[in-house]
Amino acid sequence: MSLQSSISHYSDQIKQAVIDKQLLQIAGNQSKVPIYEDAQILSIADHTGIVSYDPAELVVTVKAGTRLADLSAALAENNQMLGFEPPEYGDSTIGGTYACALTGPSRPFRGGLRDFVLGTQLIDGQGREMRFGGKMLKNVAGYDVSRMLCGSKGSLALVTELSFKVLPLQEEKTYCIPMPEGEAILLMNKMQGTSLPLTGCAYFEGRFYYRVAGEHPAQDNRVEVSICTNDIWKTLNPFQPQLAPDEKLWRLDVESTNPSIENTIAVGMGGTRRWVASKNKPNHPYVTLWQSRFAPRNNDKPCVQRIKKGLKEVFDPHHIFKDL
Amino acid sequence: MDVIQALEQALNKNCILSSEEACRPYECDGLSAYRQKPLAVALPENAEQVKQVLKICKAHNTPVITRGSGTGLAGGTLPLKNSVVLGLSKLNKILEIDPLQRTAIVQPGVRNIQVSDAAAKYGLYYAPDPSSQVACSIGGNVAENSGGVHCLKYGLTVHNVTSLTVLDMDGEIIRFDEKDDGLDLLALLNGSEGLLGVIIEIKLKLIPKPEAAQLVMAAFKSVKACADAVTSVLKQGIVPAGLEMMDKFSIQAAEDFAQVGYPLEAAALLLCEVDGSHDQVKVDAQRVADILTQNGAYEIRVSQNEKERNELWQGRKNAFPAVGRYSPDYYCMDGTIPRSKLAYVLEEIDKLSEKYGLKVANVFHAGDGNLHPLILYDANKPGELKLTEQFGQEILKLCVDVGGTITGEHGVGVEKLDSMCHQYPEAELEIFHGIKNVFDDSGLLNPGKAVPTLHRCAELGHMHVHNNQLPHPELERF
Ligand SMILES: Cc1cc2nc3c(=O)[nH]c(=O)nc-3n(C[C@H](O)[C@H](O)[C@H](O)COP(=O)(O)OP(=O)(O)OC[C@H]3O[C@@H](n4cnc5c(N)ncnc54)[C@H](O)[C@@H]3O)c2cc1C
Ligand SMILES: Cc1cc2nc3c(=O)[nH]c(=O)nc-3n(C[C@H](O)[C@H](O)[C@H](O)COP(=O)(O)OP(=O)(O)OC[C@H]3O[C@@H](n4cnc5c(N)ncnc54)[C@H](O)[C@@H]3O)c2cc1C
Repeated sequence: MSLQSSISHYSDQIKQAVIDKQLLQIAGNQSKVPIYEDAQILSIADHTGIVSYDPAELVVTVKAGTRLADLSAALAENNQMLGFEPPEYGDSTIGGTYACALTGPSRPFRGGLRDFVLGTQLIDGQGREMRFGGKMLKNVAGYDVSRMLCGSKGSLALVTELSFKVLPLQEEKTYCIPMPEGEAILLMNKMQGTSLPLTGCAYFEGRFYYRVAGEHPAQDNRVEVSICTNDIWKTLNPFQPQLAPDEKLWRLDVESTNPSIENTIAVGMGGTRRWVASKNKPNHPYVTLWQSRFAPRNNDKPCVQRIKKGLKEVFDPHHIFKDL
Repeated sequence: MDVIQALEQALNKNCILSSEEACRPYECDGLSAYRQKPLAVALPENAEQVKQVLKICKAHNTPVITRGSGTGLAGGTLPLKNSVVLGLSKLNKILEIDPLQRTAIVQPGVRNIQVSDAAAKYGLYYAPDPSSQVACSIGGNVAENSGGVHCLKYGLTVHNVTSLTVLDMDGEIIRFDEKDDGLDLLALLNGSEGLLGVIIEIKLKLIPKPEAAQLVMAAFKSVKACADAVTSVLKQGIVPAGLEMMDKFSIQAAEDFAQVGYPLEAAALLLCEVDGSHDQVKVDAQRVADILTQNGAYEIRVSQNEKERNELWQGRKNAFPAVGRYSPDYYCMDGTIPRSKLAYVLEEIDKLSEKYGLKVANVFHAGDGNLHPLILYDANKPGELKLTEQFGQEILKLCVDVGGTITGEHGVGVEKLDSMCHQYPEAELEIFHGIKNVFDDSGLLNPGKAVPTLHRCAELGHMHVHNNQLPHPELERF
């Protein structure tokens, strides 16, 4: 199917759903979509491939159903990579990753997924094809809809194409030091204030890990420091720990200097992410239940709820896509 | 009671300006070709007073034009006749710097440079550095999503703001934070040009000052060779901290002005800065010099110390005023193109320059394809401003036609409303209006800016303007 014909095929499906009043569940490779009995799956998993990629522009444009692994491999051939280090759950799509705003350990240093999004092509809830943003590193014409939709989880529009800024692949080394959690949190914050070219800081199972890119001074300023493999970043991203039967995994977003939180099993992203294993929801403003079917946080203040509802009406006035 | 009386009653009298004379400085921003005296100017001293101004204006159905330092170049703060200008220059406090967390919480009227100055004692700074950084406010930076020389590597404002406190037209407080779940509303507020809310508090990311920086200056015999050399640098895995290009006219003007030793016979000059750790910078500067030489640079200079580096930058940093000396007025455009189209676009601009009989100097952020053609004109010659504007619009159209955009960093304001019609079709514009309506259903926040009405675009036939003649010239264009 040509690019244009497959796009209009999606748009026809959406227009038909409006007529039939049929709820649509947008899905990539369905690693995580909640199943609604009354919803029909609108899968974009077949819409794959790189639309354009010129390494010298530092920009790639890709269809939303493309697997992360395929995209990363194509970039690696040109010594480039996605700067936001998305978690790879097996066959995650780039569209699903974008819709869930998923980002890896380099976030505090290079930025999160939304920081690399330059433009999107999408189909709204009326079946209208549109484009926002562009394929350039700089564009401030109109509201930044492409970034706004990061994290929209298929609730406002079907994203069919995405443009990202890409970065050169860099050689990275990981070091680790055994120490207690509280000390590690303090140290990782202190280190992030120095000119050491860090790209990762985490705490896991009694050790502080940090990753450094490119040329940097020898890390022999502490006796306990040792070099380890880069595998730890894969262990933490995606983080899929073994839990006791009655425990749940919670993802907390906090300030980097937040002191240790009870039941934390890993600290990631330079201290800004804490993974907590516990039966009950930790008492904290930014907590997400991290399970095989994702649960929305839903703790917005009324004025933010009003804005989100309003935006839903703008993009999806017939409520064809499931709610956020 | 009218709106001015109500404001005077609610705020200190000296916070409200309404005389012809007192309002004059608020008639325009950096795009001084457009001027309009507002009904009044309110200069609140704290967030509570901002709230009161909004409530009063809402009650009187009076439009509000939020203003930072007024350095905007797209007419974003141009008043309406019946509007109140809400100037935030008195909200100018840095509320907190947390060196361990590397964040700063500031009021909107704080000037960009003040943040870096205040953070310097901790070895930190605020990365986005628009050339106007000594004057422009952080609030204005957020509203315009400003960028600067360093944004190829360190990002625009949107990449460096972690939380915003905003007042809507009803005076209700809304907080947006990077930790929020679901839609990224924080991103939406960046670059919203004062149309979605009044930003009253901003949390910024601070980053460590790089240990070292070196500047490589390279001269080329042709623009194309220079553009290709830029491409090679980026392709080979180096992301410079700054990558600026100047054409022959700008080189001459800058050299004449600042005497930094730029090669006058060059067709194009490249300034490429690398920064980071001492070790990294040494390696990168050498690699950049090698790559540029291999790509046809006939003269290379690498700064050997901070003094030399700063000197070499002086020409580029003063390029605008330097070019300005050749003409009574100049008009600074702002479009972005894919870098691969650089040589083609510059050639086309040359042709347009001949067509319009107006000289153009090209200075631009080559790393991210952001062009700033400076069109020289004389406002005192009848019709020349109009001609200049048409020329500018043709340049923006050219940018869109090669896959670029009508503004990389200055915003749309009133200046590029017509060009928006060329970049965005109807459905997208409808979505933009929908978004505006969600945040401000009364339409009183900076009305008529940034997003053209569908009516206006239809009138322009989506910018297919024939013989340079706008249809219905008698209609108000804003
Ligand atoms: C065990 C496990 C637990 C996980 N827990 C969470 C969690 O709690 N929270 C979380 O956010 N992620 C979680 N993830 C990650 C999520 O599955 C990944 O983000 C994955 O990368 C998404 O890709 P996908 O193709 O499988 O998307 P899908 O699972 O098919 O879709 C994910 C979401 O994105 C939307 N979507 C997909 N494609 C598009 C598109 N083109 N346009 C618009 N919307 C689209 C869907 O509607 C859905 O809401 C988890 C993954 C696993 C395996
Ligand atoms: C010599 C010169 C060089 C420049 N160089 C650059 C450059 O390199 N990069 C660049 O990006 N720009 C540049 N600019 C443009 C300008 O400086 C920026 O757009 C700047 O961000 C504007 O800030 P300001 O405080 O002056 O805003 P103003 O001009 O006062 O306002 C700009 C817009 O922001 C809105 N606004 C202001 N404050 C708020 C607030 N608190 N809440 C909501 N809305 C608000 C206004 O309504 C208006 O729409 C330059 C300008 C000049 C004169």
